[in-house]
Amino acid sequence: MIGRVRPLYIVALAVLGVSLALPTAPAKASVPAGEAGEEVTLEGIVNNTILGHAEDGYYLNFKPFAQVELPRIMLVRTADGALTLEAYGSTKGLLRGGPYGLTAHGDEGEGHADPITASAELSEAIGAKEHLHSPVVRTSGQVVADLSISRHLIFGLLAMLIVLGIFIALAQRYKKGHDQPEAPQGIFQNMMEVLVVFVRDEIAKPNIPDGKWRTFLPYLLTAFFFILVANILGLVPFAGAATSNIAVTGVMAVMTFAIVLLYASTDYYKELLTGPPDAPVLIRIILVPIEIIGLVMRHLALAIRLFANMMGGSLIIFSLIGLVFMMNVIMGEAAAWSTTIISIGFTVFILLLKLLVAFIQAYVFTILSALFIGMAVEEHHSGGEQEVESGSGLDGRAEERLDAVEDKVERRAQPTTA
Amino acid sequence: MTALFAQSLVTPSVGLIFWKTVAFLIFLYILYRFGWGPITESLEAREEDIEQSIRRAEEALQEAKEIQAENEQARRDAEQKAQRILREARDSAEELREEQKAQTRQEIQEMKEQAQADIEREKQAALQELRDEVADLAIGAAQKIIENDLDADRHRQLVNDALDDLPTN
Repeated sequence: MIGRVRPLYIVALAVLGVSLALPTAPAKASVPAGEAGEEVTLEGIVNNTILGHAEDGYYLNFKPFAQVELPRIMLVRTADGALTLEAYGSTKGLLRGGPYGLTAHGDEGEGHADPITASAELSEAIGAKEHLHSPVVRTSGQVVADLSISRHLIFGLLAMLIVLGIFIALAQRYKKGHDQPEAPQGIFQNMMEVLVVFVRDEIAKPNIPDGKWRTFLPYLLTAFFFILVANILGLVPFAGAATSNIAVTGVMAVMTFAIVLLYASTDYYKELLTGPPDAPVLIRIILVPIEIIGLVMRHLALAIRLFANMMGGSLIIFSLIGLVFMMNVIMGEAAAWSTTIISIGFTVFILLLKLLVAFIQAYVFTILSALFIGMAVEEHHSGGEQEVESGSGLDGRAEERLDAVEDKVERRAQPTTA
Repeated sequence: MTALFAQSLVTPSVGLIFWKTVAFLIFLYILYRFGWGPITESLEAREEDIEQSIRRAEEALQEAKEIQAENEQARRDAEQKAQRILREARDSAEELREEQKAQTRQEIQEMKEQAQADIEREKQAALQELRDEVADLAIGAAQKIIENDLDADRHRQLVNDALDDLPTN
């Protein structure tokens, strides 16, 4: 047991050392370089080391090897009112070549300080890498939509490519043995099959009634594997989890919501918009808005749960590492060294926990999606007196299941959100 | 301390939403078209196949059991039949032997009787012959007596001699 755990521990430690020591090393190195009185402050650590790594950005951070800026695409309304699409190779190019200026640090909230546009100042700002963290504004006209390719989009696309690669390769295997079913061969096929069958038998089938699960299984599988791979990418050095961005999880939740709205049975809509059939009118009036708000909140919670779990995990890790540098500022080098040991230990623990959470959150998102879809597509069996009875029975069952699943989710998610 | 970027963590960006939606829909379509279809279909086909195989195997097992039971029954029947036949054969053999014995005994009896009859007849014939012989001898003796001057003593003597000459039987 110990023999098995130890190598894992060492590997995790090594990965950690590489992934976390490297990005932070240049930050330390920049102190002696002395960029115009710049010094490491607590604020700087929080902004750059902790939040800077967790937030989305328009660059890929491969420090200390490279820092790749991503293309910027802007849908803009120019001063004369025309709607155009402008594309630049990088933020640097955008600032130098286009009518854009950089807002200074800390200006977003208060008033409108003039953006930096002068080339000399711009060069200085770019030299200090400020353009990567500060928002850009258009000097003439306005930006309608910033369609730039961001870090999290790249990681999302990477996750999609990995999933596509895995499953299209896997599908080829099944096409080969088309005439006669063959036994699965190898770890790859068996492992993936276990997951696919798990999603089908544990998530889709029990939650979506009347054999309708066949319709929704592809979506559930897609969501499950995308989230799983994206979550695991969050553990890879230099990469990040696309699912730790609220926009990504929001889009996923909206997809589920759209499926619920598109495929919901008329019974579901009727009950949603007119309240339970056996309740008095007054109660119905109260219940209908609650039901509608509840429906929206369920899906909102779906997005936030996934986002918060993934973001929380990475923030904890960056904070633990940031603690080392904070100690350096506050209490000096000796304290920083001793903190390193504690920080690394905790970070390893959190990383292992994140691996667990990666699976749990993919499962939770998918099972809740399946449950919501199942509740929506369920048809109440009509026919005389039985309608009321079976209707309330089914409803009760669905509610019960929802409670049970949420209970389970809460219990599982608790250690991570703490 | 103000956290400048904290807000950007929870603010969804329009560009990401747009690209993510487009990318995810394409992703979903490609996987739906080329990935999940073949996989889930062949998974189901295989499951069905396995289920059928198991059912078939169970049926075959059931059938085999029935056949075995039938065979067992048939064997038992055959054994019983064989035993019965054996018993019958033994019985009939016994019977036959008895019959044979009786017949033999009867034959022996008959032969014995025949033999006795033969002996009796031979005896009678012999006696008859003897009687004839005796008569002839008597006649001869008489002749001799007559030829020799017979007196009473001599006569008796002669007859006695003649009688002595007869076989004792």
